[in-house]
Amino acid sequence: MFANLARLAPPSSIVAIAVLLCFAPVMPGIAIKTKSVLAGRKGAPILQLYYDLWKLVRKGTVYSTTTTWVFQAGPVIVLASVVAALLFLPLDGRSAPAHFEGDLVAFAGLLALGRFALVLAGLDTGSSFEGMGASREVTVATFAEPALFLCLLALVLATGELTLSGMLGVPLANAWPRSAASLTLVGLSLFIILLAENSRVPVDDPATHLELTMIHEVIVLDHSGPDLALILYGSALKLTLFGALVVCLFAPRPSLTPAAAIASLLAGLVLVAVIIGIVESVMARLRLTRIPQLLVGAAALATLGIILLLR
Amino acid sequence: MLGLGLGTILLAGIAAMVQSGSQNLPGRPLARGGSMLFRVLLGVGCTIGALPALRVLLGGATTDLQFGALSPTGPWVFGLDALSAVFLLLIFAVGVASGCYGFTYFASPAVHGEADSAQRSIEAEPSGVAGAHALVALLLVSLALLVVARAVIPFLIAWELMAMTSYFLIVFDVDKPEVRRAGLLYLVTTHAGTLLLFALFAAWGRGAADLSFASLAAVTLHPRMGDAVVLSLALGAFGLKAGLVPLHFWLPEAHAAAPSHVSALMSGVVIKMGIYGLLRVIALLGIVPAWWSWLVLGLGVISGVLGVVWALAQHDIKRLLAFHSVENIGIILVGVGIGGLGLAYHHPRIAMLGFAGALLHTFNHGLFKSLLFLGAGSVIHATGARDIERLGGLSRRMPRTAAAFLLGSVAIVGLPPLNGFVSEWMVYRGVLHIGLVTDISRIASLAGVALALIGGLALACFAKVVGILYLGSPRDPVALSAHESAPGMTWPLLGLAGACAGIGLLPVFVLPPILRAAAVVVGAAASDPSVTSTVAADVDGSAAMAITALALGVTVAMLIGWAVHRIMVGRRPSKTKAVRRRETWACGYSTPTARMQYSASSFAAPILAHFQPVTGIRTHQTTRVFETYAGDPVLDGFVRPLWRAWRDIANRARPMQRARLSTYVLYLVAALLTLLLYLLVDGWTT
Repeated sequence: MFANLARLAPPSSIVAIAVLLCFAPVMPGIAIKTKSVLAGRKGAPILQLYYDLWKLVRKGTVYSTTTTWVFQAGPVIVLASVVAALLFLPLDGRSAPAHFEGDLVAFAGLLALGRFALVLAGLDTGSSFEGMGASREVTVATFAEPALFLCLLALVLATGELTLSGMLGVPLANAWPRSAASLTLVGLSLFIILLAENSRVPVDDPATHLELTMIHEVIVLDHSGPDLALILYGSALKLTLFGALVVCLFAPRPSLTPAAAIASLLAGLVLVAVIIGIVESVMARLRLTRIPQLLVGAAALATLGIILLLR
Repeated sequence: MLGLGLGTILLAGIAAMVQSGSQNLPGRPLARGGSMLFRVLLGVGCTIGALPALRVLLGGATTDLQFGALSPTGPWVFGLDALSAVFLLLIFAVGVASGCYGFTYFASPAVHGEADSAQRSIEAEPSGVAGAHALVALLLVSLALLVVARAVIPFLIAWELMAMTSYFLIVFDVDKPEVRRAGLLYLVTTHAGTLLLFALFAAWGRGAADLSFASLAAVTLHPRMGDAVVLSLALGAFGLKAGLVPLHFWLPEAHAAAPSHVSALMSGVVIKMGIYGLLRVIALLGIVPAWWSWLVLGLGVISGVLGVVWALAQHDIKRLLAFHSVENIGIILVGVGIGGLGLAYHHPRIAMLGFAGALLHTFNHGLFKSLLFLGAGSVIHATGARDIERLGGLSRRMPRTAAAFLLGSVAIVGLPPLNGFVSEWMVYRGVLHIGLVTDISRIASLAGVALALIGGLALACFAKVVGILYLGSPRDPVALSAHESAPGMTWPLLGLAGACAGIGLLPVFVLPPILRAAAVVVGAAASDPSVTSTVAADVDGSAAMAITALALGVTVAMLIGWAVHRIMVGRRPSKTKAVRRRETWACGYSTPTARMQYSASSFAAPILAHFQPVTGIRTHQTTRVFETYAGDPVLDGFVRPLWRAWRDIANRARPMQRARLSTYVLYLVAALLTLLLYLLVDGWTT
């Protein structure tokens, strides 16, 4: 029965995933570079994360005496779940390696699985810092999840398809002329969710230096060496994943050749990273109590898009 | 076959009684041979009983058994179809796990303190323990009879038997006033439900030839009102048992008061009888009106969201789990509501998806909720503490319990690759499909937002439970002295965890039987071409295969990742690459203590702050302490005032009761005169 599935996956979609796996660490690099340039600084090299990862993989690890296997399993599950979620996106513009009816639920579920593992790994250290970060992470996620569902529901309603792979190709390209307004609203909403899910400004500041104010960075405070490398790479991959979703939404490319589609996807991702950098340069972080309001706002945008579709 | 199984389970109960009777020595646990006999008989009985259910689920012929005119209300009919079989399997699976667990739970010495099973009373009274085992066996038999009953009288008898055995199990720990209070609340509530059932069958059976379900199904009800009366009464009666908001108020009290393995049975199986009743009524009516489906959908959304928010505010592990049952009943009702809308608006495919999702979630919730309750029981047994704020770091001291509990948590949150995800995926598919229809019912797709919110909140809640309870370091000396439970308690946990993982990893084998059961509910519409094509897709086509492949793929990926990680971290070619052990990093502070850890209250506070208005959660903050308390708005704001008002009325009516014969004779005459008057008026009008 699994041969059946292997046959369904076109080679170009596998190639696209391989390309993204290599490309992912560039995304935070571009965002940081943009931020530096706008601030008049030279900034770290775009490829900085590759150097960091290489350095971390070769380092030793320090485990807290409080931690158990849960702490060590966390980074592995985080990375595995993001890679699995990547399988549902039609990165080559045609079809995804894995698709089935309702796979958007699996997409959201896998991201939640990664979050659960990360949060538990944080709590395993028994530190207040990690506890604080974990509490904030689940708070943000609680409000991000309904917004993400509304965005996906809007896509289902706009295209009539129940798989990510199916809807992000030809049906979406056909839907754009019909319902440009609602799809734009959904895209904006998805971008806000991207910022929240990936702990970027205005939800969290990846460049902050005070543990008490962090969300994502503080959960992984105790990870080191290869574990930290897995976490950093997983985060970069998650950013790329959401970026790819936004790019696929705004620019469905069913008519391009696979190579051109992958190239345009990369160009789109660079653009998303630059926009993230610009947002981080022009905005301050929101107060923690305001973050749910931002996400409810994102949900409201998506709901508006749905209402426009249903009329 | 089923009868044989039930007989064996009864024998197990009798064996437990006899054993304790024959060695009537206070303070001594049951003899080894006796304890084995109970468990073996229970296991054999449940296995034998499950065989016919399995046969029906795998497509075997359904059977009906009829006992002639045992009562003036017609024959007593018993039958086994796919719908009954799903519930029967659940009863036996959870029953054998809880029953065996309970035996060790009572037999091995528990820790002092505020444990939920009163060790005191057990030591004083071994026959009480044996009675509890016998009651568990009787409860299982009554549950099994309930789901195979096909006539009103045996159904009601089984229903009452279930209610009463549950009551005696809840008040096992009768020395504690809060247990007696919870028991009374349960007793009153369950009988209110039974009264509604009487009303339901009385209204429904008026025009029927006899009181068998087949005759009820043949009754032609008044086109608008008849359906409305039957369905409203059914929602009230069965909703009270299932614990949907606002009829849930008894549930957290009762489930928290019972011994843990009884809580597992009640949360896992007994409340599911409410769901069974609703589905059976829908199957018998064959059609449900749209307003009722909208109502059920709305109640499901409210139950789901409020249940999980209330759960998040709890720090008593058992009350927390009980509120999660309310949440999951909400998810199940969303499935039922979607299925009902599919029936009402003639989308048989959506009806199938909704009911199949609801049924599978019912089954799954039975498995993982009983797993979690048993896990909580092990913690209480080992530490004597129910307040999670006092515990911590238990995964080091009870590794197997912790692993099983963690797995159950992943399942209940609905994360892939476990069983909770599969059933929520089915419900989500119903939700997405209904968004694509052209009539007004597509609004129902917005229920998915509630499902997503529930998922997010449940994740937060179980991160809190697992994180505070099992991870970190012990917050109180009671957690330091914890020990791994006896094998008799860990094996049922691991078995249930295996079942959760099995359904999650191989849904391709689980979906066909569930769809068969859903077809019983959907009825004639299940033979619609659009349904048969969906069923084909779910049974041998892409969807079931793909989700199976997904689950297996994710699991394999995680295992490979884990292996690579072990190799990466484990190799030590030079001194710098060694794995070192240090205290947790606290920004340079090198002697962190357990009291510096985050607390459950603090963990939940940011989310609860946003739900403050709807939940009535109070916070208590001083310079030393920060805590949140969660009352139950329905219980405190409505049920208790109502109860007090009723007591006042009853007190005023007290003078009627004078204990004088002449007064009572007067009442009798008055009653007879009233009846005569009624007959007179009745005769006049006709």
